[in-house]
Amino acid sequence: METNATTTGSAKLPAVKLALRAGGGLVKLLLIVYAVLTLYPLYWLFISAFKTNQDFFNRPYGLPHAWMKENIVRAWELGNMGRAMFNSAFVTVAAVLLTIVLGVLAAYALSRFDFRFKKAIVALFLAGLLIPIHSTLVPLFIMMRKLHLLDTYGALILPYTAFELPIAIFLAMAYMASIPREIEEAAMIDGSGWWRIFGSLILPLCKPIVATIAILGFLRFWNDFSFALVFINTQSLKTLPLSLSLFSDGFGTDYALTMGAMAIAVIPTIVIYLLMQEQIMKGMVAGSVKG
Amino acid sequence: MAPAVRSRGFIALALLPALLLFLVFVIVPIFWSAYYGLFDWKGLGSAKFIGLGNYEEILQDEIFWRALKNNLILVASSIAGQIPIALLLALLLLRNTLFSRFIRSAVFMPMVLSTVVVGLIWGYIYHPQFGLANAVLEWLGLESWTRAWLSDPKVNMLAVSIPINWSNVGPYLIIFIAALQNISSEIDDAAKIDGAVGWRKLISVTLPMIWGTVVVSLVLCISGSLKAFDHVIVMTGGGPAQSTELLATYMYNNTFDVYRYGYGSAVSTMIIVISALLIGLQYALTGRKKEG
Amino acid sequence: MKKSQASRVGVTLALASMMLAACGGNNEGGGANGNAPAPEASGNNGNGAKQEKVKLTLWHNFAGDDLRAKTVRSFIDQFKQDNPDVELDAQAIPPDGYRQRLATVAAANEMPDLSFVYAGSHSTELYKAGLLQPITELTDANPEWKGKFLPGAFDPYTFEPNQIYTAPLGMSATSILYYNTSLFEKYSVKVPTTWDEMLAAIKTFNDHGITPIALGNKAPWVAQSTIIGSLADRVTGTEWFKNAAAQKDAKFTDPQFVEALGYFKQLVDNKAFQEGANSIDNTQAEQYFIQGNAAMMVSGAWTLTNLAAAASEEQMKPIDVTVLPAIPGGKGDANSITGGAGGGLALSSRTTGAAKEAALKLIYTLSGPEAQKAIAESNSMVMYDTEIDQSKVTSLYYKAFNLVKKTGITPVYDAILSAEGAEALNNGLQELMMDGKPEDVAQKVQDAQARSVTP
Repeated sequence: METNATTTGSAKLPAVKLALRAGGGLVKLLLIVYAVLTLYPLYWLFISAFKTNQDFFNRPYGLPHAWMKENIVRAWELGNMGRAMFNSAFVTVAAVLLTIVLGVLAAYALSRFDFRFKKAIVALFLAGLLIPIHSTLVPLFIMMRKLHLLDTYGALILPYTAFELPIAIFLAMAYMASIPREIEEAAMIDGSGWWRIFGSLILPLCKPIVATIAILGFLRFWNDFSFALVFINTQSLKTLPLSLSLFSDGFGTDYALTMGAMAIAVIPTIVIYLLMQEQIMKGMVAGSVKG
Repeated sequence: MAPAVRSRGFIALALLPALLLFLVFVIVPIFWSAYYGLFDWKGLGSAKFIGLGNYEEILQDEIFWRALKNNLILVASSIAGQIPIALLLALLLLRNTLFSRFIRSAVFMPMVLSTVVVGLIWGYIYHPQFGLANAVLEWLGLESWTRAWLSDPKVNMLAVSIPINWSNVGPYLIIFIAALQNISSEIDDAAKIDGAVGWRKLISVTLPMIWGTVVVSLVLCISGSLKAFDHVIVMTGGGPAQSTELLATYMYNNTFDVYRYGYGSAVSTMIIVISALLIGLQYALTGRKKEG
Repeated sequence: MKKSQASRVGVTLALASMMLAACGGNNEGGGANGNAPAPEASGNNGNGAKQEKVKLTLWHNFAGDDLRAKTVRSFIDQFKQDNPDVELDAQAIPPDGYRQRLATVAAANEMPDLSFVYAGSHSTELYKAGLLQPITELTDANPEWKGKFLPGAFDPYTFEPNQIYTAPLGMSATSILYYNTSLFEKYSVKVPTTWDEMLAAIKTFNDHGITPIALGNKAPWVAQSTIIGSLADRVTGTEWFKNAAAQKDAKFTDPQFVEALGYFKQLVDNKAFQEGANSIDNTQAEQYFIQGNAAMMVSGAWTLTNLAAAASEEQMKPIDVTVLPAIPGGKGDANSITGGAGGGLALSSRTTGAAKEAALKLIYTLSGPEAQKAIAESNSMVMYDTEIDQSKVTSLYYKAFNLVKKTGITPVYDAILSAEGAEALNNGLQELMMDGKPEDVAQKVQDAQARSVTP
């Protein structure tokens, strides 16, 4: 807003212009302060990851006394984090892809067509947003045992996707509402079918929201503890969050190793966020071309 | 527009996979859990059917109402906090300059951190002995304001809600940015025609165009606040003496700690019912606002 | 351009369906749920065929990097080596999620063959639900081993007369009074042995700006487990507590229990604990104490383990241990701490045949004489008469080890109370630290306990 105001205000008096620029500067400053406040925990996590337990408690805000690279190595080995990271990556990527494909398709059907039970179906998906996951653990456990899904990647991928679908669908529906229908009508005249319209017109336009859904889903799946704890048995299928909680026993916590493990686990999420953010922005370019 | 048969086939194929997966893994467990809520069951061994007995108890359960009140505090604070802040930031950071990319990423970072880290950091900020919050107040000469933020029942719910808001701005920011991307060119066109700038442009042009996204964000905010769990578990565990208990922590506690599985399931069903009511109310309100 | 995007959708769909297929396939391969082995194993047993391995599942929470967890895991590995005919699936589950996971499978009636259970409601509820079976044949077969357990070691696991359900592989000693001798010397304070001396010490330390007692009661079991159990036992005696817990001839609203809560309230009112103790966790309180900010800390043997990992020997040197002071006119033994059997491995009622044989063998491996000695030498108390090598443990642990040998042991409250009763007491103590009244707290504990004991 501010930048906009300064450019349109070019014809105004120099004093006003100066005041606006100062206002813009102030906003920038405030934004920087806010950014520091939100970045600090990340910085704190990384310095803490290299401290001894004693150092962690004695100087919680200071830099490490000696940089303990061992924390990272020990946490990696003890938490079997190499394997866990592969599992988390596989499960998360699969569930994100599935969420996007199923969610965006369903959202398209719900936002562009009228049919019987549409309202009921939307309400049903809405209900999915409301459910606290812990109360579903026992029913899901029993059900998946009957389906022979327990202790497979599917035991995580399928419920993750199912629980993320409502968010994906609602976000995508809201987004699609602002895509003009004329685009499809033009394609219809060309003789394109719905699948083609969806695949070659709608989906590319939805890139920003798809990237948003991907980020949100990625974070949720990557960090999920409860499902991973209960539905997976075999050591070689276990995901990262289980490795992160190994070093705390209810009586005390080994912070050196916990922080080390968390520092490892957070890196992929940062990378994914940065990649996806670019996708959100690329959408802008596509969007303005169409406009 | 198109031959009805062709669209019907498309609708079915587009919708059914999602619907099926969702029914099996989400809706069935909801009803299953609601069914457990009709029993006096420890979560082990045999169960006794007691009809609506658990619900009768809930209505008279002081802790349940306190938890609900705490959840409503969260709902209010997140609607008043997360959404306006995220919207403001989204408008400020819409351009893809290096600066706004940096700020956007920074704002999102609390979200990628494990709640354990967020809880630890804020635990230090609120620490009764060497906490940052009290130190700042002392520095400002407001010594009478210092307190044990997380254990004083008069303020601890507020103290807990700040970190929750702080870490949840990020997702709404990217949701709004994505929505604004979609209409950015149109905004300018429409605003030019209207001659609207500044706040007037925001209210008369921008907001109506992303209203659908704002409504969905409100839904996410309400439902998220009513099932909030992680941050509170890490920061206070619902204590002291259940003063920061939330519906979801109370449900968890009954289900897994004190062997009242049936009661916990009933609480969980109540969470869904209450959220549905609130969201219904919200739709009624936002729908009207749009027309008006 | 458009075409490529369309085909990308196709590829994505294909990928997704392949993944789904992979998930299904995985399941048939090897992933069958770990709880299946019982029937299979008994099948083998019938044939007497030797080539099929006996399958056994074990769930425990010795998952961390501390000495004790490593020691227990090394015995599990030992068992695997010594018993090549047993296919042991030993799951180290993160302690934070252990109870939740066990509760979920128990609700679905899918217990592993062996699971690590705690004394008190945790094991009692599993027993009541019919999910466990006794291991008495093991203790009967090894009378010498059984005889070396300390008195009361099997009490919490003797659910029926003469039937033992597990052998503890640790001891919980929960109310040791740790104190910083240099601070006591510096302000010439006498280590309190009576209640008045305790109050005097609290006053002196407060006057000098030292926190008298460090407490981290964020997880609300701490004050209950470390302080109130011992205080109350000194006031009421053990008999009364056992009766009140059973709701026979005694109630928690009885004046003696209200009086006991009153003593705790006195500590609060005299500012014995640092401000905000209800929002500090146990680890932080330990650090606060070991850094010399507090003169005393009432805590369990776990503090020995934690300090061994996160404090220097130098920091631990001035620390000494004793018991809480006596209460005037109290009915209980003042030279006592609260404690009792730690957790042990419980045997699923569905495990039979060869799997059961192997399971009993594993129980003996993990709580037998060698394991007990090794666990004791990992700075962790055991409920077993064993000698330890002083050079292998920290000096502070050695002091505590000898203290516990000399004192009486009285029950920890939450090992006897129902889960609901303990929960009410935990919350009640936090309330007392805010502005609750002993009478009200006593009433809540009574209500909760009465409801869960009477069917």
